[in-house]
Amino acid sequence: MLRHLGRCFVHLAVAVAGIVTVAFFLMRAIPGDPAAYMLGDYATADALARLRGQLGLDRSVLEQYALFVARAVRGDLGSSVVTGQAALTEILDSLPASAALAVLGLLIAILIGVPLGIASAVRQGTWLDVAIMLAALAGISFPVFWLGLAAILILSHGLDLFPALGSSGSEDLLTRLHHLALPALVLGFSVSAYIARLTRSAMLEVLGQDYVRVARAMGIPERRILYKLALRNALIPILAVIGVTFAWSLGNAILIEVVFSRPGLGSTLLKAILARDYQLVQAGVLILATAVVVTNTVLDVVYGVIDPRLRSG
Amino acid sequence: MSTELRRYLGHPGLAVGTAILVLLVMITLVAGWIAPHSPLKTDMANTLAPMSTSHWLGTDQFGRDVLSRIIMGTRVSIQVAFAVVALSLSAGTIVGALAGFAGGWTERITVIIIDILLAFPGFLLALALVAARGSSLESVIVGVSIAFTPRVAAVMRSVVLTIKPRPFIEASRAIGLTELRILLRHVIPNAMPPVIVIATVSAATAILAEAGLSFLGLGVQPPTPTWGNIISDGNPLITTNPWISLSAGFCIALAVIAFNLLGDGLRDTLDPRMRQQTGARML
Repeated sequence: MLRHLGRCFVHLAVAVAGIVTVAFFLMRAIPGDPAAYMLGDYATADALARLRGQLGLDRSVLEQYALFVARAVRGDLGSSVVTGQAALTEILDSLPASAALAVLGLLIAILIGVPLGIASAVRQGTWLDVAIMLAALAGISFPVFWLGLAAILILSHGLDLFPALGSSGSEDLLTRLHHLALPALVLGFSVSAYIARLTRSAMLEVLGQDYVRVARAMGIPERRILYKLALRNALIPILAVIGVTFAWSLGNAILIEVVFSRPGLGSTLLKAILARDYQLVQAGVLILATAVVVTNTVLDVVYGVIDPRLRSG
Repeated sequence: MSTELRRYLGHPGLAVGTAILVLLVMITLVAGWIAPHSPLKTDMANTLAPMSTSHWLGTDQFGRDVLSRIIMGTRVSIQVAFAVVALSLSAGTIVGALAGFAGGWTERITVIIIDILLAFPGFLLALALVAARGSSLESVIVGVSIAFTPRVAAVMRSVVLTIKPRPFIEASRAIGLTELRILLRHVIPNAMPPVIVIATVSAATAILAEAGLSFLGLGVQPPTPTWGNIISDGNPLITTNPWISLSAGFCIALAVIAFNLLGDGLRDTLDPRMRQQTGARML
């Protein structure tokens, strides 16, 4: 178990180092002078020189990289050229709103997607299976921002069940939840389609295994086979799906925030992109990717706890 | 009719997916002729017109014909889908095959790089790249392709690993074929089926990604119509003129469903073992 933990953390360290490297090169993808790009056409020579110095643009790429890594280790990801605040602070300030949306959305997605996926695998080939899979196909095919607009039109404008826009600055938890509900439902519905498809194939995979056939031949009741054998063994691939969809939920949360005009990472990043505030974009990408690998590491550790076979793997 | 063709058409998903796709490609080719109006022509005397015989889907806030804009928007989506598949399929196949076939340090380092790139939510990576390179059709295609290449490469590598130890590879070596020839003539062709499935699914995801970028105003720039920017234009009008956004969304879904059906169908017919790799839009 300790070795498994150790391996997970080495993976995490390598991944984070890689993410910092990719984030560094993202800035180099800007054609021409990044400082001129960020400060725009009316920048004074003085301001340009200062930003170039701060970014280390006058040095070699290798030195720039070393400088970037050294700063990143200390938590310094540069600062916003618009507000002058530290980029990390700006990103971390807008993270909780997005995380709440992504986590609640994912929870809804699991609650809808996993049972539907299991039902459809168990009733493979019946009308129920076909109906669930067609619905899931539609769910993964409509763009999430479009689902958001349709939800506003029907649930908020038509039926007046939810507020359409904003996050409500209110301190009241219930009001805030009420504002979060519709965006989270949309995100959850969209992700649930994906989870249902993967859960179904994970279940089918397990149900086709020899030990399930043996259990059936031994006359063990189907219900017991399902819950004791199949579900438990399908748990790992299902957890893996949830890990993967977390990254995807974060990406989609950005689009949903824009549709519902909610504050969060999405609107911060979009504002930064439109203002060419690239250090903020870089910091946002870095933080989100790190959040994804940390989640995956936690899941890796959990797999090891659930399934001893994976500890040596 | 050959048995292959019959099996292909006998799969409902494959048949429907292919039919929709052929239709969309045809629309792309003749878009300029079948659009009833110019998609760019504004008519301030006739803004936000309801559906009528002259404007089937009404007009937008600048009096432009929505149907014509949607027809022209097909072009961008289909172009992006095919270009992203072409780019990420070729780059991913080469990288994945070389890594899997070469083994050793080449493989280890490639795997680490692939893993790191996979940690980035694909949409976010594409977003950051497009933000850096500036909004244009080319940067959307390049950005989304870069986000997809590691996914193709990862699949390619894992398939190559299963092919490498098989006897016919050893036999090819025994009769004196060069390593490059073995890779090109035997390993890559045999590894293609699952990679083609992933590529088809990538096309679906690429359409969604392009639409998302256009929706945020970072894709192909207005006034060129794309399905994403039509939805974005219709966004403030969602309660008064919902058809502008809704119809563009249906088109996106139709194209994505077509590629997903194709991907699911190809998986069933080309490679029954791969059924657990379900699902599009891993962005």
